[in-house]
Amino acid sequence: MMTSASTFDPAGRPAVRTVDTFSYDDSIVRKFMLATLLWGVVAMAAGLFIALQLVVPRLNFGLEWLGFGRLRPLHTNAAIFAFVGNGMFAGVYYSTQRLCKARMFSDLLSNLHFWGWQAIIVSAAVTLPLGFTQGKEYAELEWPIDIAIAVVWVGFFGANFFGTLLRRRERHLYVALWFYIATIATVAVLHVFNSLVVVAAPLRSYSVYAGVQDALVQWWYGHNAVAFFLTTPILGLMYYFLPKAAERPVFSYKLSIVHFWSLVFIYIWAGPHHLHYTALPQWASTLGMLFSLMLWMPSWGGMINGLMTLRGAWHKVATDPVLKFFVTAITFYGMATFEGPVLSIKSVNALSHYTDWTIGHVHGGALGWNAMLFFGMAYWLFPRLYQAPLWSKRLAEWHFWIATIGIIAYWVSMQWAGITQGLMWRAFDANGALAYPDFVETVTKLAPLYWIRAGGGGLFVVGMVMAAFNLLMTRAGRPRVLAETLHTAPLLEARPAHDAPYRSDLTSVIDAGKAADEFARLSWHRLWERMPVKFAVFVIAAISVGTALEAVPMFAIKSNVPTIESVTPYTPLELAGRDIYRAEGCYNCHSQMIRPIWAETRRYGEYSKPGEFVYDHPFQWGSRRIGPDLHRVGGKYSHDWHVRHFENPRQLVQGSIMPTYAHLLEQGTDYGEIRATVGAMVALGVPYSRDEAERAEDLARAQAAAIAAELEGQGGYKNMGDKKVIALVAYLQRLGTDISKTTAAAAPTAGPAKEGGAK
Amino acid sequence: MRHEPRVLDHEYDGITEYDNPTPGWWHMLFIATVVFSAFYAVFWHASELAWTPYDALASDKKDYYGRLFAVLGTLSPDEPTMFRMMADERWMNFGGSVFAANCAVCHGSTGSGITGPNLTDDSWINVEKMTDIFRVITEGVGAKGMPAWGNRLTENERILVASFVANMRSHPQPGKPPEGKPIPPWGPAPAPGGAPHGG
Repeated sequence: MMTSASTFDPAGRPAVRTVDTFSYDDSIVRKFMLATLLWGVVAMAAGLFIALQLVVPRLNFGLEWLGFGRLRPLHTNAAIFAFVGNGMFAGVYYSTQRLCKARMFSDLLSNLHFWGWQAIIVSAAVTLPLGFTQGKEYAELEWPIDIAIAVVWVGFFGANFFGTLLRRRERHLYVALWFYIATIATVAVLHVFNSLVVVAAPLRSYSVYAGVQDALVQWWYGHNAVAFFLTTPILGLMYYFLPKAAERPVFSYKLSIVHFWSLVFIYIWAGPHHLHYTALPQWASTLGMLFSLMLWMPSWGGMINGLMTLRGAWHKVATDPVLKFFVTAITFYGMATFEGPVLSIKSVNALSHYTDWTIGHVHGGALGWNAMLFFGMAYWLFPRLYQAPLWSKRLAEWHFWIATIGIIAYWVSMQWAGITQGLMWRAFDANGALAYPDFVETVTKLAPLYWIRAGGGGLFVVGMVMAAFNLLMTRAGRPRVLAETLHTAPLLEARPAHDAPYRSDLTSVIDAGKAADEFARLSWHRLWERMPVKFAVFVIAAISVGTALEAVPMFAIKSNVPTIESVTPYTPLELAGRDIYRAEGCYNCHSQMIRPIWAETRRYGEYSKPGEFVYDHPFQWGSRRIGPDLHRVGGKYSHDWHVRHFENPRQLVQGSIMPTYAHLLEQGTDYGEIRATVGAMVALGVPYSRDEAERAEDLARAQAAAIAAELEGQGGYKNMGDKKVIALVAYLQRLGTDISKTTAAAAPTAGPAKEGGAK
Repeated sequence: MRHEPRVLDHEYDGITEYDNPTPGWWHMLFIATVVFSAFYAVFWHASELAWTPYDALASDKKDYYGRLFAVLGTLSPDEPTMFRMMADERWMNFGGSVFAANCAVCHGSTGSGITGPNLTDDSWINVEKMTDIFRVITEGVGAKGMPAWGNRLTENERILVASFVANMRSHPQPGKPPEGKPIPPWGPAPAPGGAPHGG
């Protein structure tokens, strides 16, 4: 709503308006806050549930929808996009309006954004447990949902936000808004480029990139989802809510400028640190590590500005739960952004990669930094949004301590678990043989630490529920009619900028010296702050440098992925098996990437080569080894072993924590889909002959029949030919075998079984 | 006593900002990471002294095989060799670790059989003499699901694990019932004769 105070000139014509009267839309903030509480409970409870499955595997109740591989993406997506997403939107909508002295551009767009986002979350919560997934971490949602995300993010949120900036009544953009601009622009770019797919069915699609390139794009996305979804917007919220709550000026405007731009420019390069020692080329790995190291101080710039802003307000921290949460959040941000560069050092990563150390690290960020900051924000916002005092400050204090103890227990236990497992994987005995050759030993060893993690996570969930209760009780105490405050502000045109850029007053220096002096004073940045669209363009330019310099060589230079002649496309049945592998979320616990490290090649076999993944749409390298690597599993076990293992892993491996996959022995493979799958691969340039593409279904059935016959010969499972497990076994038996195809006796073939018996 | 720094002359919704400079130590560390990165990149990607993970792997591999097989030389898969290995505790331990890493998942950690047959009894499916164990390990038996290890383990490793398996027969374990047909004991170690390059 907006009215204008107008004056009339003596002739009775309306003169130029000088002052606007307007109100802020807080109802949209209230909606997003309530959604944050709801999804916070859901996301954290889902996390606790799957954490407990790692110590009590039967907790999935034998239901395929509740298995770890399907629920872990639900947990991560809910935590990132539902919990942090809604919390971010609440804070952005509240602060942007006030920082711009303007109501949101369009209430309709605000509501479309809110309801569209909730619909996306609900569709994610339905499709992920059903096994519809693109198989790329934090980007699992299938293509129709991806399109909806793009529309809601850019078309509703982005348009609404930038529309508000353009209608602002404040000349300059405050630092919080810079971070929001970076968030909206960059997340859009990341999401679109990582989600490019070829569609095979209404809920099935394949990444347009394969293998090494898909890995690079995915971790460019994955790491920068951390950067621009979990970091920049939260820093923006910190820059608004912390000085508001502390009632102190921000420590350093100059630091804001330097750390903002260095953060945005450097963060985008760091993705390859998720791929150290993989088939990714060395140069990319080095870039990932070095830019992560250089990111340390830009990240700490935010921490310094946060903590130093509290200078002169520390006495309030002791009594105000809001500030307690803020201080803790910023401290965790500092710890996580120190641990990140440490983990990105190649030799540290050689130990930490694939272990729980990474899991601890991300929770330090997501719970310690994001969630704690949201809690502070929520305890500050609710009384203002609902015009009622906080229901119980004491409960908020209790929440603070419970949550803090919870996240510390979580983080430390996971660091401990990660280092323990990493050391066990690489330990050799006196003979030079692996000290723990049996993988499951390195898992059962972690059980006590998994219990501590579940305990810490459980405390955090309890805290989340306490917060939801406290805040809902605050809401219940609201007046019957919420007062809407009217604000007035002079029009932007009526407030000409009075700050001219600094002109160097140095004497006796050359012009370059003067220019450097002017640059160093940063006054040019004041001009940028008046131009939101140009500001966004500059941000996109900053993120494009690292993106282009890593991606273009990776796609353009052939030597990054040397061709291996013996690597051929998957058979149609193997593709169907790969779909099952992806749908079950096997990549959540198993890697397919053997690093060139002696302990690793001893355990799993020859290290993985870039040329082996050229037909992998999407790549399935994984990021965690809760179970062993599977890249060279082809031919390592009998079909019979695999089928029994899927039926119940604990029949064969004592102490295994893998879920049972008995449903794969009962459900039939959808042979009708295979032709569309092969067609999608052909569209992606995978060299299938026309004949293969057309006869895909028959070829798949023939291979399945051959494997089923071999299976029957091996152990007595009969009539399994049309079952999903056969397709999955076909895929597993193929994995990693192509490089040894020239030598005879590689994998058991699907051809006629050899006569004779073992032993 | 530090005096209050200057507050900049703008405010946003009541928020003001100090005109503080960026902290010196922050600058210094930032510059240090940049300088370090330059040196790191030049050293690891342009220097003669640098090595790659592949070099390190090759070196570890060489050390390993050098240490373990310098003594053994190249073994030949014959009975005298296998008997000799069975008599040597060090090589039995080594064969045992290969077994634990690769075979135990189907044959059980004690060899008593899971999906694979019991290796500790006197009944064998495709083995009549000791060297058949080596052959089965190398070639596999597709119809029964026994994988081929010929291109996963070196010949020496396969001989050592075959010797370890042959030795298991002297420690019968209750487990999977006998499969195949009973065969005579391995018998006494024959004198080395026909082995062309047995050590």
